[in-house]
Amino acid sequence: MRYLLAFGLIAVTTAIFFTVREVLDKTLLALLFLLPVGLSTALWGLGPGITSALCAFLTFNYFFIKPYYTLAVHQPVDLVILLVFLIVAVVISQLVGRAQAGLATAKAREREATQLYELSTALAGLHDDQTIARILAEKIQMVTQGEHVAVNVAAAQPFTFDLPLDAPPPPRRPELIIPIQAARGILGEIRLWRAVPAILSAERRLLQTFASQGALALERAWLAQAESRARVLEESDRLKSALLSSVSHELRTPLATIKAAVTSLLSGEIGWDSSARGELLVAIDDEADHLNMVVGNLLDMSRIEAGALRPQKEWNILSEIVAGVLVRMHRLTESHRLEIEIPDDLPLVPVDYVQMEQVFTNLLSNSVKYAPVGTVIRIHVRVQDDSTVHVLVSNQGPLVPPEHLERIFDKFYRVTAADRVTGTGLGLSICKGIVEAHGGRIWAENLTDGLAFNFTIPLTWDGAPPPRLTVESEAE
Amino acid sequence: MKTSPHILVVDDEPQILRALRTILTEKGFKVTTASRGEEGLTLAAADVPDIVILDLGLPDMDGIEVCARLREWTQCPIIVLSVRDSERDKVAALDKGADDYLTKPFGIEELLARVRVALRHSARTKGSQVSLVIAGPLTIDLAWHVVTRDGEDVKLTATEFNLLAYLAANRGRVLTHRSILTHVWGEADADHTEYLRVYMRQLRKKLEADPERPQHILTEPGIGYRFIADE
Repeated sequence: MRYLLAFGLIAVTTAIFFTVREVLDKTLLALLFLLPVGLSTALWGLGPGITSALCAFLTFNYFFIKPYYTLAVHQPVDLVILLVFLIVAVVISQLVGRAQAGLATAKAREREATQLYELSTALAGLHDDQTIARILAEKIQMVTQGEHVAVNVAAAQPFTFDLPLDAPPPPRRPELIIPIQAARGILGEIRLWRAVPAILSAERRLLQTFASQGALALERAWLAQAESRARVLEESDRLKSALLSSVSHELRTPLATIKAAVTSLLSGEIGWDSSARGELLVAIDDEADHLNMVVGNLLDMSRIEAGALRPQKEWNILSEIVAGVLVRMHRLTESHRLEIEIPDDLPLVPVDYVQMEQVFTNLLSNSVKYAPVGTVIRIHVRVQDDSTVHVLVSNQGPLVPPEHLERIFDKFYRVTAADRVTGTGLGLSICKGIVEAHGGRIWAENLTDGLAFNFTIPLTWDGAPPPRLTVESEAE
Repeated sequence: MKTSPHILVVDDEPQILRALRTILTEKGFKVTTASRGEEGLTLAAADVPDIVILDLGLPDMDGIEVCARLREWTQCPIIVLSVRDSERDKVAALDKGADDYLTKPFGIEELLARVRVALRHSARTKGSQVSLVIAGPLTIDLAWHVVTRDGEDVKLTATEFNLLAYLAANRGRVLTHRSILTHVWGEADADHTEYLRVYMRQLRKKLEADPERPQHILTEPGIGYRFIADE
């Protein structure tokens, strides 16, 4: 095509010059003929340039050197003109062509550099090998326009990213396989299927650079993952020591009371019917219960941690659960005023009775612990958008700084200094574990006059809405 | 004079055995102890106890199986001991024939109350049935199907009455959801705990002075219900 264009250009030039053949000097014409030759080389490259030089030489001889319409030359001067023309035309073509080729190479280099730059920017900061494979495949696909690209990564669980997505690779050997090679070995490979046009060595070179960029990104991602695993381990180690210190403190406090009370009773120095005797015995009883609660909390927590907390759901009446908790906790809660608001027509709720008791117990005991004596503790239950029960347990205790609101559900997290309030620091995280095991959500918020715990429980159980039972109305 | 009741305690914790032997002997019971399931079964066969206190966590065999093996030949009351959060085991033991349960750690008064209820219940099933049950302001006439509260008739539906009658006949004892549902509604409805929840609320509204703080129809979390009557 480019050769035809060069040829056409010479033809047009010849046609124009033909009309002024008799007016202009043939030396000037020879000079003018250099124009289309140079133009052809500049526009279409070295080959067409040379071709047009030869064409120009022949047509010049044929149409403009006497005798016309033959390739014969009679005048020696004409021969010299022709030869000089040929040499100059070819030299121009070559010079311009070489400059052109240099420019094209520079442009190709620049394009490669841009593509590489784009790839490395896209890969920068990625910590996920799946995404790295995807971006690598997409860039390769964009650059090569291949039929199919597969990026295989030999991670702990090897995987392959295919482009186009969901399409199996063509059932033949890929035209190009490039290993993704890093210092510590082969991390995977790039496979490219493209039969036409055949893969050029420049493309192969570019893809090799792509592969080494990919290798770098993968290594970086894996290093980051290893680092974060190490951090998690460190964190769980820290939690374990927090657990141990909390546990030993929490177990020792009631034990100290029990030991002191029992030894003073054993010493025989306390009269059989003194009031001190009765007080000591009550203290022992209370502290034994407290120990039992601490152990129970620890067991609950380890169960939640192990993911072994499976609610035994049944359709329950929430007010029955709350009433049971209030009866059992009446000694603890009598220092506060309780306001309970549970609609009488609340649907049955699919919950584990015992676990739900635990949630209310922990939220109430937390409220009692922090809110001043004599203040109001409210339990307010309502149905929210037909599919969820929303429970609010609020108190008039101190507000929690907003940045702590989420963290109070973390294990061993305390807003106040650990030694001012007793408890394992597990109560709220147990609530969170139970509520979430029920498919609900729990959060805390500051009200104008105190702190509120909110949680939700889905009303549906495996998609089934609460059964509506009507009690038969006929009398015996 | 009536001989003192014989209690067999099966538990693998020597400290628990020692404490229970001391306390129960002090309270006038004859106490035998075993630390393994097989040993307990052998002792029970050699000298039939009036009551068995059985820990569910035994080293050699499942406490639930000990229950079942005892039930093959004796109706003597069984009180099972277990730790918190093993509601499923407790329910399984109760459904296999145990009469009552206690969660460790427990107060000795609780244990003695359970023992008294169990002994009275086994005496009742042997002797003639009392048809009138009194629980505070409530009187329940099981023969005439009449319930009064402070002397006034209480209107109950047929199901409500059947439910109350079953509870009253087993006053003091824990009844599992399954056992109540099977007895009142039938085998097919044994899993419909929601029936119980709804009917119990209804019964409490009709019978309890404060339905939110019931004195007679008590919920046993995760297990079932217990009816408290005067004795």
